[in-house]
This record gives sequence, C-alpha cells and structure tokens, in this order.
Amino acid sequence: MINKKNQITPMQFILLIHGVQMGVGVLTLPRELAQKAGTDGWIAIIICWFFSTLISLIIIQIMKKYPNGTILDLVTHYFGKWIGRASTIIFALYFAILTHVLFIREALFIQAWILPHTNILILILLLSIPSYLIVRKNISILARYSQFVYFMTLWAILIYLIPMKHAEWLHLLPVLKEGWVPIFTAVKTAILSFVGFEVAFFLYPYLQKKDKASLGIVVANTLSLLMYLMITIGAFAFFSPDEITIYNEPTIIILKVIEFEFIERLEIVFFSFYIFVISTTVLPLMFMTVFCTSQLAGRQDHSRHIAWFLLLECIFAVLFPPTFDNNFLLQKMIDQAGLILAFAFPICLWGYVWLHGLFKRRASK
Amino acid sequence: MKFFRKYNNQPNFTQQHNRNPISSDLTENIEEIQSIFSETPDLVVRDFVITHSNRQAALVYLSGITDSQTINNHVLKPLLFENGKDNSETDLRVSLGHIKETNKWQQIESAILNGECVLFVEKRTEAFIYFTSSFPKRSIEDSPIESSIHGSHVGFTETGGDNVALIRKQIYNRELKIKEMTVGERGKSKLAILYLADVANHEVLKEIEERIQKVNVDSVINAGVLAEYIEDNPYSPFPQLLLTERPDFAASEILQGRIAIVVDRSPNVIIGPATFDSFFKTIDDYSSRWMVASFIRLMRYFGFLIAIFLPSIYIAIIFFHFEVIPLKLLLSIGESRERVPFPPYIEAFIMEITLEMLREAGVRLPAKIGQTVGIVGGIVIGQAAVEAGIVSNVMVIVVALTAIASFIIPNYEMGSAIRMVRFPMMILASLFGFVGLAIGLMILLAHFIALESLGMPYGSPIAPLRFPDWNDVFIRLPQWSIKKRPLSTSAVQMKKADSHRPKGGEQ
Repeated sequence: MINKKNQITPMQFILLIHGVQMGVGVLTLPRELAQKAGTDGWIAIIICWFFSTLISLIIIQIMKKYPNGTILDLVTHYFGKWIGRASTIIFALYFAILTHVLFIREALFIQAWILPHTNILILILLLSIPSYLIVRKNISILARYSQFVYFMTLWAILIYLIPMKHAEWLHLLPVLKEGWVPIFTAVKTAILSFVGFEVAFFLYPYLQKKDKASLGIVVANTLSLLMYLMITIGAFAFFSPDEITIYNEPTIIILKVIEFEFIERLEIVFFSFYIFVISTTVLPLMFMTVFCTSQLAGRQDHSRHIAWFLLLECIFAVLFPPTFDNNFLLQKMIDQAGLILAFAFPICLWGYVWLHGLFKRRASK
Repeated sequence: MKFFRKYNNQPNFTQQHNRNPISSDLTENIEEIQSIFSETPDLVVRDFVITHSNRQAALVYLSGITDSQTINNHVLKPLLFENGKDNSETDLRVSLGHIKETNKWQQIESAILNGECVLFVEKRTEAFIYFTSSFPKRSIEDSPIESSIHGSHVGFTETGGDNVALIRKQIYNRELKIKEMTVGERGKSKLAILYLADVANHEVLKEIEERIQKVNVDSVINAGVLAEYIEDNPYSPFPQLLLTERPDFAASEILQGRIAIVVDRSPNVIIGPATFDSFFKTIDDYSSRWMVASFIRLMRYFGFLIAIFLPSIYIAIIFFHFEVIPLKLLLSIGESRERVPFPPYIEAFIMEITLEMLREAGVRLPAKIGQTVGIVGGIVIGQAAVEAGIVSNVMVIVVALTAIASFIIPNYEMGSAIRMVRFPMMILASLFGFVGLAIGLMILLAHFIALESLGMPYGSPIAPLRFPDWNDVFIRLPQWSIKKRPLSTSAVQMKKADSHRPKGGEQ
C-alpha cells in the first residue's frame, strides 16, 4: 500500500500539519481573543500551544505502536473490525463536515472581500477545479503542494511588518490586567486554532523517517504558534483595545493602511494570495475525508469519491444558500467534535494502548 | 488501436519472399534482388569476374547513397585487378575495415537500403556486405536556434552516426555506453541511447527502452515525434523531455546522469529525465561568471512569470480591481484608454493574437521578407492601432513586455508553452479578476507538482523541495561549490567533483 513514491519527508510532514492549522481561523482570531480576554489574549495562545503539543506527542506515541498503518488500521487492530468501521465513519463524518465548513467559508470570504457580485455557487465551482486536481492524487503530491505554498506565501510575513510602524505597543500593557480568569476563557477559543494536528494520525505511516515524527510535530505546532503570536500581538498593538472588536477580520484590516507608489489597497491582492493558504487547510482535510470513505468502500482509488464530494458541495450550496451565519453555526457544532476527536480521543486511546501493553507483558510473563 | 490491429494483420508483402536464405546460384540471387527492388532506377548491379579466384560475382548497391570513390578504389579495384599468390577462396581481398557476412535476405535488403554494397559470389551461400554508405549530408554548423556566446560553435546534424561522434568527442570515457534500437515499421529509424553506465539510473534506462519498444508506427520523422510518443503526460502544456541541438549541452546532461537519445535523421537529441529548471539553463550559464549567469537566470524565471501573468494582471486590474492602482497611475491609464471602445479583455486578446501571428509569420518566412513583417507589425502594433483608438498605449506596453519576456526563455518549446498558457489565464482573469488568477495559478501548480518525466518528478528540486540542489537552479553558485549531481536525475553516483579551491588572496 505504501510504496516509496508515496512517502513524505519530515519537512513535508511539518508543513502539511502547519498548513492544516493555519487557515481561515487566523483572520478572525485576534477579534475573538480580544472579545474574551482583551489584549491579554495572546497568553492564551501559548497555553494552547502547550496543550496541543502535548497531545500531538501522545498521538505520535500511539502511532508508534502500529507504525505501518493509519489510525483506522490501529483501531481495527485493537478493537476489531466493527469498531474500526465505526471509527472510520466517525472520522469521515468529522473531516467531511470540517472540510465543508472551511470550503464554504473560503468561498464566502472571497465573495465578501473581492467579488461581491459573483454568485457563491460559481465561486464554489471555481474552487472545486484545483481542489479536484490536487486531492485526486496521492498524499505525496498533497505534501508537495503544502510545502510549495508555504514557501510561496512566506513573503506575506514581510508585508505584515510594514503596518507595525503605526503600532502602539502600550496597548499590550499592563500584562494580566484582569487576572487569569479571562485568559482561561479565551483558551477555549484559541485551542481551536491548533486543531488540525490530528491529521498526524493519518500522515504517520507515510512518513519517511519515523524517528523525526515527534520533532516534526513539535516544530509544526511551534510554527503555528509563532504565526498566531505575531498576528495577534500585531493586531493588538495596531488597533486600540475597543476598536479591534468592531472588525470582523482585523487581520486583513491591518493591511489597509499600506500604500506604495505603485499599489494601493494591498489587502485585495493579499487576500487573493491568501486563498492559497486557506487551500492548504482545506485540501488535506478533503483528502482525509475521501481517504476515510474510500477505506470504507474498500477501494484504493479515491478520485471518484472526491468528485462526488465536490458535487455534493455544489448541490448543498444550491439547496441551502450558504451565509456566514449558518456557516458559523455549523462550525460551533464541529468545534465540539474537534475538541473531542483531537484532544479527548488521543488521551483515552493512549491510556487504553498503554494498559493493553501492560497487561500483555504481564500475561506473557 | 483499431488502425494498428488492421495494420498488423495485413500480410507484410515486402518481407514475404525473404524467408529463405540466399541460394548458391548467382543469377537466381540477382533475380531475387531485382524483384525486391523493382522500379528502382538507382540500383546498380555490377557483374564481373574476381581475378584471383576466377569466379563470377555481382556487386549490388544503390548509387545515390553510396560513396562511389570507396567502391571503385577499395572494392572493385582489388577484386578486379589484384592477382593474389595464395588461391584460398575464402579470402576476398578488399581494402575496407567494416565487412559483414550474411545469408539472410532481410539483412541484405536493409544493408542495401542503408547505402552499403553487397557482393554475391558464384557458388557461395553467403553474401558480403561492405560498409560504403555515404548519405547526402550537410556539414557541421552552429545551431541557429540555440546559439551561444562562449560555447562551442558546433551543432548536431541529420546524421545519427555523426551526432554520436560529436557526443563521444565531449566524453572520453569507456563508461559512455550506447544502446542501439530501431523504431518504425517502414522508417526503421536508428536510435542510439547514450548514457554513462556507472552514473545513470538503470531503472530509468529500462523505462526508456520499454517505452520505445512499445512505439509501433510506420515511421518516426524526427526526434519531436518520438518524444511525443514516449513522454509521460501528453495533455500537459509543458515539454517533458529536452530537445537540444548542442553536443556540449547534451554531453553535460549525460554527465549529470541523464540519458540522451540520438535519433537518426533528426538534428535534435532527446534528453530525459528532464526537470522544469533544465529548460531555463543554457551552456553559456556555465561559461560566464557565476554572478552574471545567476542574474540572467533570475531574469529568465522573472520573464516566465511575466509572460504568463502580465496580460491577465492587466485585465484583472482594469476590469475588476482598479482601486489597487494609485490615483496618478489610474489617471494616466484612464487617459490612454479613453478612446478605446472595447473592454480590456477584448483589447488584450486582439493584441496578443496579433503578436502571436506576427511571430509565427516571421518564423516561416525567408529572412528578407521576415524583416518586412517585423516592420509592418511594429507599425501596426505600435502606432496605428493606438492612434486609431482600438487599443491603449498601456496595452501595447504590456504586449511588448510579454513578448520579450517569453523570448528570454532559452528553450523554444518552453517559450511556446508559456505563450499558450497565458490565454486561459486571461480568460480566468476576465471572469474572476485576481481570484481567477489565483485559481489559475493553483491549477497550474496542481499540474506542475504532479508532473513526471520518465517517472521522475518534473518539479524537482522546487517541488518536491530539496534545498541542496538549489545551487544550480535559480542562481548558479560558483563551479567549485557544485559537488554533487542533482537528485532529480536519480544518478547512482551522486558525487561529481571534489574541488579544492586555491586560495588566491593568500599569495
């Protein structure tokens, strides 16, 4: 099943996970944190990073027990065929809904920011073309794509530094002005930005050098942490503490102040480019969805599944015209599932696997 | 497929009467030859008696493609006039190096068609084939398409043997191996696959051989046809195999671990597995100093992006996002577009298609008329169209820039591919503005990262990323720092140099 061509390098592993974590969430993250914890919200990010790294390491520990299969194979191995099937269905549903939310959100953002007069259905169709072309290939192509896009969009960080000359760093002070309680309430919001490392469950068997997995996943989480910290602290310093909650996507609003002699309204260009960053979130999740469904159907080839999935998206968009409101509503639902699947599930599974190993060793003695 | 099945089922009449070996009767053999080569006025059958053995013999050849000097001086003269002392019959004295014996008609037929001459001797059941072929050929000249400043002024010709010799001249190594194959039922093009046995990857070699063996056609006219038969993805706009006319370039690629296919009768040599970046290299990059070479190479990649995206960015900005350009620039663009009645995409399409037609017209016409086309085109594009108010000045600048940018790419195939790709980009930009451009780039990227050349990733070392190989991609670092072959050729032997740079400054 896993031949040499279908493997990913440690760097691709890092950037694939980082790509899944970095996506649409960043655009609204500074506002959401500011609403909960004011300008101390950035501390919540660090706390979340700590938790997500811990869970990520647990995931790698679990996968080490069954290094040549995905989580689906592992569950089947420990709990038998039926629970394996059930978990496949759960994962497929989770990824499908998550992909749906983000995919539609991508189209909604494009409509809101760049093409207000274009029908959302046409945008979804337009986005489907590259999605189909990339996802129908195997995991190594997807990894190459994430890697390429990461380095292609890296210059955006430099652009982000330009508005910082207008920043008022005093906004951040005093640290912990209202104590720890608001920060802990913000943790629940911020932790969702780190959801995405659970794709490691599926990526691990494809990794070339398995000993680099732990390091890789820590680096991936840290990369995301640095990006989030830079963007939120930048936004907190740039806007006044009250102003920031007015804007829906403060991350892009910051760029509005940039003006060069040859280009103005940089945020339009920037957002067009940001489609690439969002695609590195959506496409791996889409791949995971069809990976699960094709496992369920017992087929190796998933190109037909992805076509069906995209078709369903289009039909869905026709039947229920997507809006930001119902998109957010759906996201709240899937966020709960994400917390369970990405945080609670690995801990329980790890406990079980550990106990299982313990009993087995004792039994063999 | 149906066509081929039909084709194969047909009795192949040219080979029908070739089953038997040649007979010992001379007249019978000559009749056979004449029946094979009916209506062939250039067939020469010379009957004579060999002096030293007193036997009847016949020399058969095609007059146009053999070297008459060689036949007269080295075949006929010794046989007719030299009277040997020892009368051993087996020894036929001709002063030639390359001699074969055979008794198969098929071999005789192909030898005659190849310009060799065949000697039949009375009461002998084998014929002698003398290598006297001399096809009409042109002399070795500089390649007009891939001319260079510092490189050698030698280009491949239409003779396969000469082309192999030109490559051999560059690589004095016994590990340079040559595999011969033939392609085409009627054409019987000879191919020579050249590679370094201890460097090139044998799996890639096997892949090439298998693909060539699968080619079942009448004739392969030139290297481009063969390349299209064996390339990985026929639906890709990008060329996946390098075609070059330069022996030094071919040799340098062979030394990198790639494999070259010399096709007889074609002045191009196919090189694979090719990567995207190899289409942006010239031999001059290595003969000029590294900073200059790197600068020029960066310009090429920049030109690549401009040629694909500039017209579509123009359309997207004018049509959708005029707010991104500053007011002063907007005013001057607006002023130049004031009289233009068309939307920007029609304007752009008119100009781009005019440009493409002018270019194609210039390529096919003889040089003297070609200049006229250039002048007419320049006036039409530059002056008249603007003054008539059909297109704007800015559009003319955009078109001129894209043209120059696409001509900066050294490989003609790649340049053409880029010029073609920009039209779908223009359509996407006219429909969706910057979003369309981003999606277009994403589709291009999706295609690019999945593309393969002979089973090796085409985008290497960009995607899959491999930073150590970047010393010779966008910039070319000094020669002494390039010590390994790129991974994309999947060479067995990675190391190619171990240089110790003299410390010049310490003297």
